[in-house]
Amino acid sequence: MGRLVDRENPLKLYLQLAEILKKRIESEEWRVGSRIPTEEELCRAYDVSRATVRGAISELTREGFLMKQQGKGTFVIKKAEIDKLTMTVSFDELMLDPSTDVNTTVLAQTIMMPIDDLAEKLDISSEKHIIYVKRLRFLANIAILIQESFIPLHLCPHLLKEDLENISLFEFFEKRAALHITNVKNSFEIIYLNPEEARLFEYPVKTPALLLNQLFSSRGSNIMFSRTIKRPGKSGFSIHFEKWLHSQKDRVVFEISRARKDNF
Amino acid sequence: MTHKKLVKDIMIDVFEYPHIPYWFTIRQAIGIIKKSRIGTEKPIYPIAILVFDEKYNLMGTITPECILKGLEPKIFKPGILAEFEGADIENAMTTYEAMMFNEEAKKRAEKPVSDIMIPAKIYVSSNDSIAKAAFVMIHHNVSILPVLEEGKKLVGVVKIFEIFDEISKTIIE
Repeated sequence: MGRLVDRENPLKLYLQLAEILKKRIESEEWRVGSRIPTEEELCRAYDVSRATVRGAISELTREGFLMKQQGKGTFVIKKAEIDKLTMTVSFDELMLDPSTDVNTTVLAQTIMMPIDDLAEKLDISSEKHIIYVKRLRFLANIAILIQESFIPLHLCPHLLKEDLENISLFEFFEKRAALHITNVKNSFEIIYLNPEEARLFEYPVKTPALLLNQLFSSRGSNIMFSRTIKRPGKSGFSIHFEKWLHSQKDRVVFEISRARKDNF
Repeated sequence: MTHKKLVKDIMIDVFEYPHIPYWFTIRQAIGIIKKSRIGTEKPIYPIAILVFDEKYNLMGTITPECILKGLEPKIFKPGILAEFEGADIENAMTTYEAMMFNEEAKKRAEKPVSDIMIPAKIYVSSNDSIAKAAFVMIHHNVSILPVLEEGKKLVGVVKIFEIFDEISKTIIE
């Protein structure tokens, strides 16, 4: 049956299980087109909870290894051959090069409770406090981005007192909090500016604008969710693929998980 | 007789309480009360959510009473209830009842919590006496008070329950 999950390992159980299952797919023990064992069978085989099995299956579904068919089961599907590539995405003005002359105004740096699906996104209980940071980024005195970030308080309570006009959240995580970002999941949406956002950009309410959702994680734990709204107008978009090297341990993988077709 | 315990000896850490920024809606505050541990733990009363501004300064507190008052726009405005004397209080109750269970109440739940909170200008200091905290609570008719250090930094929350416990101990002894 292969190896079991290691409960001493700090990596989340569902991610460990996903890795184990992925090996069975890659070794063709589970062939393309075949149905994989049921959730109960996997629970028993690996001695894990149903939630862990579900998490592993949805991870592999997201990564394009598996597909669920209602009423029939979960099947191994053919994966596009790009899994050994790192993809970096850059949006004009959306992911800021630290060398560019960008000014930041902190609009909010406070504490809140998880609302909507934030608790789920950040893997915390709904009673845990979250640090909320809202920043407005200016390029040549024009507001170009509104960035809202949500970080579990218990990870880095001192973030509340940090001067975020002069250091970036990336720098903060790496240098002051010893949290190394190892994975970023991105998705894009088109939104319509609400009155507050419209006021900040000096655009009419309900103007369409691009929203980038990002979920940052560090060794399997989600550490930050960010929403970045780009100033309405021109949107340049480029995707860059790079061959993955074994020596690069902590590479940052950017991926577009749900770029909605109808929006582009 | 002086009592040696101070507010800081009986206060509860601020992170035991849910926090929200002032622009959250009443509806979101209701959701937080329902989900929070203090919504289910015994004793469930008194409970509160702390309301902050953008720079994490305390602006006020929200209790279930604030919400029940805030969902109704008129009767609990200062001075209004006093006009409904004697038998008229029945009228006030009927009006309140009619106000609470309709679509308008759902719309009012979209107001920001800053409209209905108890402003943080009512507070005690960590070095204040327990009797002072009791006095402030009775005077302002609230059952929970923020505890500030040097009039600025929020360090905890004190509830009428712990004050009652402390004062009643000295009476029974």
